[in-house]
Amino acid sequence: MNYQSKANKYVCPNDRQLSLRAKLRTGWSTARSEPPLTATEREAIAAVVKRAEKVDEVEARRVGRIVARLEGMRRSAQGPAPRSCLLCGETSRLLAPLRTCSICRNTACPKCVIEMPPHRSPIYSREQYMCNLCAETREMWKKSGAWFYKSLPKYILPERKATRRYNDTELARSLQDAGNSSNEGKTDSEPGSPLSVHAPTFSRQPSNTDSRKSIVSSHDTHHDWNETDILSHGVSGLSLHRTESLNQRSVAGLKRTGSKGSAYSIRSIRKEISKPLTQPERPTTIPDAGFGTLEIKLAYDNGTSSLAVTVLRARGLIGMDMTGLSDPFCRLEILPREGTYSNRLRTKTVHKTKNPEFNETLHFFGITESDLAAKSLEIVLFDDDRYGCDEMGSATVSLRDCAKSPIQLRLALSGATGTEPTGPRVLLALCYSTKKRALVVTICRAAELPPRDSNGYSDPFVKLHLDPDPYHKKHKTSIKWRNLNPIWNEEFLFETRPTELSRQNLTLTFWDKDYGKPNDFLGSLVLGASSKGRRLKHWMDCIKFPDHRHEQWHSLTDTQHL
Amino acid sequence: MAKTYDYLFKLLLIGDSGVGKTSILFRFSEDAFNISFISTIGIDFKIRTIDLDGKKVKLQIWDTAGQERFRTITTAYYRGSMGIMLVYDVTNEKSFENIKNWIRNIEENASADVEKMILGNKCDLDAKRQVSKERGEQLAIEYQIKFVETSAKDSLNVEYAFYTLARDIKAKMEKKQEASNPPGARSGAHQLRANEQQRKPTSWLSRCSVL
Repeated sequence: MNYQSKANKYVCPNDRQLSLRAKLRTGWSTARSEPPLTATEREAIAAVVKRAEKVDEVEARRVGRIVARLEGMRRSAQGPAPRSCLLCGETSRLLAPLRTCSICRNTACPKCVIEMPPHRSPIYSREQYMCNLCAETREMWKKSGAWFYKSLPKYILPERKATRRYNDTELARSLQDAGNSSNEGKTDSEPGSPLSVHAPTFSRQPSNTDSRKSIVSSHDTHHDWNETDILSHGVSGLSLHRTESLNQRSVAGLKRTGSKGSAYSIRSIRKEISKPLTQPERPTTIPDAGFGTLEIKLAYDNGTSSLAVTVLRARGLIGMDMTGLSDPFCRLEILPREGTYSNRLRTKTVHKTKNPEFNETLHFFGITESDLAAKSLEIVLFDDDRYGCDEMGSATVSLRDCAKSPIQLRLALSGATGTEPTGPRVLLALCYSTKKRALVVTICRAAELPPRDSNGYSDPFVKLHLDPDPYHKKHKTSIKWRNLNPIWNEEFLFETRPTELSRQNLTLTFWDKDYGKPNDFLGSLVLGASSKGRRLKHWMDCIKFPDHRHEQWHSLTDTQHL
Repeated sequence: MAKTYDYLFKLLLIGDSGVGKTSILFRFSEDAFNISFISTIGIDFKIRTIDLDGKKVKLQIWDTAGQERFRTITTAYYRGSMGIMLVYDVTNEKSFENIKNWIRNIEENASADVEKMILGNKCDLDAKRQVSKERGEQLAIEYQIKFVETSAKDSLNVEYAFYTLARDIKAKMEKKQEASNPPGARSGAHQLRANEQQRKPTSWLSRCSVL
């Protein structure tokens, strides 16, 4: 290690010294090549991860129960009225005067209110009250860990509710249970009809009678619940109920914007209540368990050393958009990769369905027999969206089995692995403030923005607006000079009502400031009821749980839509 | 239904290889000690439910490998953890010096409001001690982190350390809750206006009743 013995160590080393140092593979400049993990190590880690997933599932179910409880409370609440209790509807009496909740500013009777712990500062010496609803929300925020993660962690609603609200979870599970019972011919072949999703599953459960019963019974209760739900909207237009009705209305809104066949207006729902199978899909927050199944056929041809993968169909995929449907496509890749050369193929997109029929054959060339023994095929399902693709599930098959003869496989998809977005992304906090009657958008920070200036940096700023907005408010952040990972932490207000919110879209566009020429476009993000996946969840969480900050990373897309 | 609990806290143990992270966790979760050294492969976790002020708190404690080669795996678990324990070995000077690097590592990878704590492990081995307790305290003051010397072998302060960290997280949670309402109180002007708007709809009747 005497490569710098003669040289002064405070003088910049010359090229020869540098190249020598590089060969030594020490110091900060060389990327250390660590020995890759051995198979046993990988297995051990995988086992731990699997164990952790189980814990996460227990946790997700627990959070789901808390969320369901709160939603139940909200649904049964009477709604704010000037002289009656928010929760039980009791009017003010002499001995039991109504209290005002210091959080939501609604009135509630003494039974439905709890006393807040006394405030530290003497200014607030008067007694403060909190209505049970706000108290419960607070409790949920604490118990779910949302206080730390700054948004609700993923949750699984409890069984009965889950089947009531959206059947995907149950559907996927029952599909897996049903195993290899044939389902050709019975399935909905026409994408775009949300109704047919239910129909085949009920007739396709030979083994699992128990779960079948639960589905059917929940199916029966479905209608009256819908009715009361809708009726209550008609009677009281309160903000808490609105959050429920939002879903319905924006479904109606969707119809207006012309998405074919997937949406129903409220009126049509009421009309259709009598017919059991024409239930509209309840809009979803994304369910986390049961990612559906995928059928593929593998055939290896020795002569041409090519592998033909036929993607037949997928069943019971998770719903990504407001109507609970998705636009799935598959991305196929042979792993491990050779060098940097990536060998990815994708199928066409099948629109507006959770049970897509792909029936598409893709060919991988240059696969040797030794490859078959060592390599595996990874299939990832994505939801096709104008504003970025969300992963819906993935599966991996080892190619060993298909060496001799073609095989047909049914794979259970597992959950999205990389939930945190990578690449150009933004950390965004949304909060609907009932006090200000406004949506508070905080642009916290962005990361890995593309460089647009010749110095290898950008000078980013963000323009944001709500669309449609009666006030035509437009906001702009400050410009962060020469920065690809800017931190803004700037807050913007959009005055709006929660009912409006479900029809509005928040559009963020990222720009690189330039003088003397037009600003360069860096990326964009659209959040709203018509967006999908993570973005939809973020938006709906914000509407459902007002007065809480919901922070989430979103990846930016490079499509410019103005 | 499995055992219910009120809160789930995710904790993380980090520190150089061989300082006794796994032993501390083993002592806390199983109340046992194993003299032999088995290097942790990548990551592992243990669960213990404790009682804090009448609330059941489930602790999911992640144990990480100190070895450099697992670094990419272990850092992935920083973000989700609510509390991090930095462990060094009092008989190993180098592991103490590396605490600073570990803290930098946390700042880069973990969530900003994570609770931290420094543990000086193996304090039963007084004969081989290289790092005095004062130096540990000094470092803790410098970074404003709680500090305690532990011994997994003698079961000294291990319980205390985990309970303290869990209690700190819980305290932070309560504080956060209070601060979160009203949300966005920073912008005073908006706040004022909003309050005035709010006062209107409450009727004189309800106001009277407060008096």
